[in-house]
Amino acid sequence: MKTFLFILIVIASGASAGLILGVANLVFVEPSLDQATGIENQHLFATGEEKDTPEFQIKYEGYRTWQKSGQMLAGGILGISIGSLFGIAFALSRNALPGKTDIKKALVLAGIMWLTIYFIPFLKYPANPPTVGDPETVILRGILYLSFITISGFGAVGFYKLSQKLKTKKFIAIVGYVAFIVIAFITMPENPDQITAPVDLVNHFRMMSAFTVSLYWLSLGLILGSLWTHYKPHKEITSFS
Amino acid sequence: MSQSRQINVSKNGVPVIAIVVLAIIFAVGLFVVGFDQGHIFSLVYGEEAFQDMYIHELTHDMRHAAGFPCH
Ligand SMILES: [Zn+2]
Repeated sequence: MKTFLFILIVIASGASAGLILGVANLVFVEPSLDQATGIENQHLFATGEEKDTPEFQIKYEGYRTWQKSGQMLAGGILGISIGSLFGIAFALSRNALPGKTDIKKALVLAGIMWLTIYFIPFLKYPANPPTVGDPETVILRGILYLSFITISGFGAVGFYKLSQKLKTKKFIAIVGYVAFIVIAFITMPENPDQITAPVDLVNHFRMMSAFTVSLYWLSLGLILGSLWTHYKPHKEITSFS
Repeated sequence: MSQSRQINVSKNGVPVIAIVVLAIIFAVGLFVVGFDQGHIFSLVYGEEAFQDMYIHELTHDMRHAAGFPCH
């Protein structure tokens, strides 16, 4: 395998999918975030912590604009980060993945990873807009979320290894993973925070959030698969000796 | 040549160095976007960084949008 080319392809596909995620968030998620921070401001005015003055609005708008620019930067960083994990998994599992082309293989893997390390954890600990989370519990919530992702991810790898040993009756491994994840789902503690924000806002935010992250995984699979097809980093460098 | 190649390549033919590099990028990137509360800048700016939480504020909207725990 061409090491440098492989890393380059992985980073390029992660960055591209991450920028798509950033743009999609600006379009689909930011309106909910603006709504939620607007509610926060109303709380600040009501308790007298801030006054609803033009100066406050200018400061607030400037701050939010800066945060929105961070959406693109964070999209690039997160895209490359998750893309790196995807690249490792793809390189290691490419020969075993179903599908005749690298694009199909990459899409299958993206689907599996989307389900096991994004969507199932999302069902247990769904995304929340600002105002919902209690800053006091942020470390606990971080540990819970990351633990569940890790449990689900390693569970999937473990049952995949088992399925390789089973040869026939591979479906037993899938049933095993489902049982495993149901137990984890039930036994893991709930998110400790009460939702005080309007239900419609929270639900809309969650749908948009799930949509853009799913779009990221789809883009990641397509882009990595396409670049892989084009540059073939798995081929050895042909030497003329 | 062929001997050193065997040592540096996993059984799937993937170079170990590539896996290590990508694993580090994965861990650092995930921490920066999803979990930093001033830790990284505190290496340079000390305790003050935990008050400012510059990285947290800058990656804040993505933190919410991508489902990481926040405020
Ligand atoms: Zn927040």
